[in-house]
Amino acid sequence: MNNSAIRNWLGYATLALMVAALFMVFDYVPPEAEQGIAQLIFYFHVPLAWVAFASFGLVAIAGIFYLWLGDQLWDDLGYAAAETGMVFCTLMIVAGSIWAKPIWGTWWTWDSRLTTTFILWLMYGGYLMLRASADDTPQTARFGAVLGIVAVLDVPIVIASVRLWRTIHPAVLVTKQGGHGLEDPRMVATLLVCVAAFTLLWVWLLMLRFNQLLTRSRMGALAVRIAFASAAVAGGK
Amino acid sequence: MSGFAAVLRKDLRLELRSGESTLALLALSMLVLVVLVFALDAARVRSVDAAAGALWVAMVFAGMLGANRALLAERDNGAIRGLLLSPLDPATLYAAKLAAAFIFMAVAEVGAVILMVLFFNLDFDGSTVRLAPILILGAIGFSALATLLSAITGRTRGGDMLLPILAVPIFVPALIAGVKASAAALAGAPFSTMGDWLKIMIAFDVLFVTAGYLLFEYVIGQD
Amino acid sequence: MEHLGYLFAAYSIIFGAIFLYVVFIWRRQAALDAELRALEAQMAALKEASTAASVPEHSET
Repeated sequence: MNNSAIRNWLGYATLALMVAALFMVFDYVPPEAEQGIAQLIFYFHVPLAWVAFASFGLVAIAGIFYLWLGDQLWDDLGYAAAETGMVFCTLMIVAGSIWAKPIWGTWWTWDSRLTTTFILWLMYGGYLMLRASADDTPQTARFGAVLGIVAVLDVPIVIASVRLWRTIHPAVLVTKQGGHGLEDPRMVATLLVCVAAFTLLWVWLLMLRFNQLLTRSRMGALAVRIAFASAAVAGGK
Repeated sequence: MSGFAAVLRKDLRLELRSGESTLALLALSMLVLVVLVFALDAARVRSVDAAAGALWVAMVFAGMLGANRALLAERDNGAIRGLLLSPLDPATLYAAKLAAAFIFMAVAEVGAVILMVLFFNLDFDGSTVRLAPILILGAIGFSALATLLSAITGRTRGGDMLLPILAVPIFVPALIAGVKASAAALAGAPFSTMGDWLKIMIAFDVLFVTAGYLLFEYVIGQD
Repeated sequence: MEHLGYLFAAYSIIFGAIFLYVVFIWRRQAALDAELRALEAQMAALKEASTAASVPEHSET
């Protein structure tokens, strides 16, 4: 199968890029002046965030295509995106929290970035809970699609309102806006490699899981046809 | 009479006849406020922030109850099929359900505001009246969202508990804006200072009424 | 180096979780493959049965 060869190559490329990223983070990039060594978490925290949001967008896009075209393939893609997105979103929050503790002295803070990501995490959770609490029918797939679309449309408003919330009342702790003010070009390069590595990792995991769900859907359809054919053959005797 | 008006009248008439849901809504709002009075120990100090927060908590709870109600009657006896077979299109059905949910929520809000003023040591004056547009915007947004989502959650095993899980994160921006604007209004600030919050609520309302109107047909399928 | 513990914790959790997810996918794949083999066996049996009984088969591939 051509597809499985592509997936394997994706896997190898991911591995290679991830090794390069780790090397750059631990051996190449200069340490940041104020924050000490824990600042290095930033180089994984940012890519995780980008991937978490991108995956969420994919859930919505897949939902739109599912409602429009009706092909189970789109629902499988959406579900795979929701699952992988949930993994990366959770990791992003955990990494952010571990970063926050040595830098700001607290495990959690309601700064605008973390708050928005937490809301995103809740939405992912809601989607997955909805899928878990309903049977595997086209109606459930439609539910998921609608929920995904509605949630994604909400995200810009969430971002705007949370940001406003945190600026009108000055935050307890001022956020270190990572990503702006990276003075050293080596930092920028490292960040870019990390973003590329995690994006590739996301695509690879997504393809794996998507292919799995797709196969399962098709097998389900095939099993039904076999059952009918068996009955027909048995009846014909 | 248009389909919209017909469905809306049916729902309202059903409710006026028994009145039990409205009563439950008001009772729930009041009890939530009571819990918050004790939880926040609001008796000692006059606090518009605590009052605004408590009001919105009560509203969200009442809103969710109202939304579940909106589709419950038809779901219980399979009357949804009847509605679907009628020439009424799903978008219009959504509009009617939304209107009904909004009216119930508005009634609950009036009660909640009165109780809030009493429980949290505020005054019945201009600041209370200025809450009205803010609460109306909030009720529209929440009703739009909850009516759409309750069509989904009503048919899953999670059921009643799943609606808050789905609705609350999505409602967060309107909640933040609503509480902030309400607190400002109660403190006597003019509307011009709340411009940003109001814009957020309006954007939320436009977005979700439109989304619900367009997407309702996909969630209201056969039973 | 101060804060080294935090750095170590963050990185191990990240890669640990990713590894676990890959394992999860891998095990699901194994179950899926087993089901597929069962389906293929059923199909083979069906083909035999239908040709043996000489029943005109609807072309269903």
